Amino acid sequence: MRSPDRRPAELHSVFERSFHEERRALLGWAAGLVALAVTMLAMYPTIRGNQQFSQLFESYPKAFRSMFGISDYTSGPGYLRAEVFSLTAPLLLSIFAILWGSDLVAGEEQRMTIDVLMANPISRSRVVLEKCAALVIGTAIAAGSLWLALLVGARAVHLDVGVAELSAAAFASWLVATVFGTIAMAIGAATGRRGVARGIGALVAVTAYLLSSLAEIVRWLQHLRPISPWYHAIGVDPLANGFQPVHLLVLGGIVIVTVLLAVVSFDRRDLGT
Amino acid sequence: MVLGVTSPAGTKPLTARPGSAVALDRVTKQYRGGGGIEEVSLEVAAGEVFGFLGPNGAGKTTTIRLLLDLIRPDTGHISLFGLDVRRDSVAIRRRVGYLPGDLALYDHLTARELLTHFCHLRGGPPWESVQVLVDRFDLDLDRPIRALSKGNRQKVGLVQALMGQPELLILDEPTSGLDPLVQQQVHAAITEAAEEGRTVFLSSHVLSEVGRVAHRVGLIRQGRVIAVKRVDELRDRSLHLVDVQFVDGPEPAALATIPGVGTVQQRGDAVHLEVTGSLDPLVRQLSRYRLRDLSVREPDLEESFLNLYEAGHALT
Ligand SMILES: Nc1ncnc2c1ncn2[C@@H]1O[C@H](COP(=O)(O)OP(=O)(O)O)[C@@H](O)[C@H]1O
Ligand SMILES: [Mg+2]
Repeated sequence: MRSPDRRPAELHSVFERSFHEERRALLGWAAGLVALAVTMLAMYPTIRGNQQFSQLFESYPKAFRSMFGISDYTSGPGYLRAEVFSLTAPLLLSIFAILWGSDLVAGEEQRMTIDVLMANPISRSRVVLEKCAALVIGTAIAAGSLWLALLVGARAVHLDVGVAELSAAAFASWLVATVFGTIAMAIGAATGRRGVARGIGALVAVTAYLLSSLAEIVRWLQHLRPISPWYHAIGVDPLANGFQPVHLLVLGGIVIVTVLLAVVSFDRRDLGT
Repeated sequence: MVLGVTSPAGTKPLTARPGSAVALDRVTKQYRGGGGIEEVSLEVAAGEVFGFLGPNGAGKTTTIRLLLDLIRPDTGHISLFGLDVRRDSVAIRRRVGYLPGDLALYDHLTARELLTHFCHLRGGPPWESVQVLVDRFDLDLDRPIRALSKGNRQKVGLVQALMGQPELLILDEPTSGLDPLVQQQVHAAITEAAEEGRTVFLSSHVLSEVGRVAHRVGLIRQGRVIAVKRVDELRDRSLHLVDVQFVDGPEPAALATIPGVGTVQQRGDAVHLEVTGSLDPLVRQLSRYRLRDLSVREPDLEESFLNLYEAGHALT
């Protein structure tokens, strides 16, 4: 029980405590994303310039290729797009953010710690904002680990990708995960129910993904694409086009509006009932 | 409002300061699916120890969580220190210590981590002052809270409520589930806070506990406050159940004429009496006889309630 070698944590704020609570999970997710990067990079040397792969994918229907982000598979950016950024990395980051976001506010209510927390002289808005800051920064650390692993690893396996383009893709992945994480957090703040927050957060993420990827092949869905956060993150191909401020601002705007809604709804509710 | 507060036996009379620490004005809070409180009005003077007494489900926790602005009333108004609980929530909470009824703490933290965390959130108090409380309750600071017994968790809850010496202590059933020794420590802490002139609002479902520490008691049942009484007044009317076995005794009927004695029943070789108020006249009479056994017990809460409730009706 007693662990004398563990230094007591000095937690100055709700932000720090929220972070402290998540530190092991965050470490695990970051390690997982680094492992993903290492695995994908390790396979790249057998694929680079491999004519058979190129021909194999050329033979797939165009619709299939665009849905899975496959174009120019054997080039550096093409490989990273198909294997890392078209789905896997932003999806993993989103799952992490949704799991955490759904627990951040609603978890305090369901575990009934909200009573002792709110006995302290801090406003409800501040609680939500500090927890939101923890989520945003925690997700950035996870995404940053992936980015760093890819940046360093790409050099090692001679995968040719621009720093700006790679950074833009990692940045967009972080931002889209933050969107879904804050949505889950907001639903938790509005309902006090972690399960509901988790479920709706995941539903929104999946629906938006389907919309954005089906829109690649279903003509009438195409003009609906901009309502999907996935479109602004990966649909606009940051690995080819780099940072695209307009799309990033759309995602940032969604985050800000969602957080404001979380603050307002949390402020009005009966807590822990 | 300045109340003529009488202190519990053994402590010196308390000078009530002007201004009420707690004021509820016709507060109603109904949960979906029934339950809650209805038209509750209460006023607690600064420096007073107020006992909020009621059986489980009466509405004590609901009332207390309204005071902390955790839940909001349907109608009515609540103020602490004359400030609105919603609008001035943060300013109020700077002056309040709260022990929740269903206490849940951050289980993965140690008591030391939790208490320093809360010190930071409150912008002070110095650790030395917290350490005094820790020593007093003999708390193990360096074990994760999840590894502590229920009693020790409750102590952590008490220390966080007491630290920083808040003007108003709101304690929701602070002694429920604690062993008698710790209960005593809690009572001592409450009495001490009162002696320092701080206000205490504590809920309980145990009449004797409230009688021991409080100046005034409010009775709540089924969401309604049915009586607010000074403790000394309450004591005068409280009911005792007395069983006497005589070696050679009087006719039971003779006992019925003693002041305060209500029902008298012969049960086997024992006589069962219900006594309202002071036991003194009965004990004086009994001393004339040879007894084999004598037992006195306080009735359960429900019986006391009924007795008080009826007495209250008789008066008004
Ligand atoms: N969150 C809630 N939702 C619905 N009903 C509740 C809730 N909390 C309490 N109640 C009901 O309100 C009544 C008062 O409960 P409570 O204030 O907890 O009583 P006490 O603290 O005196 O035991 C009870 O009937 C209880 O079932
Ligand atoms: Mg209760």
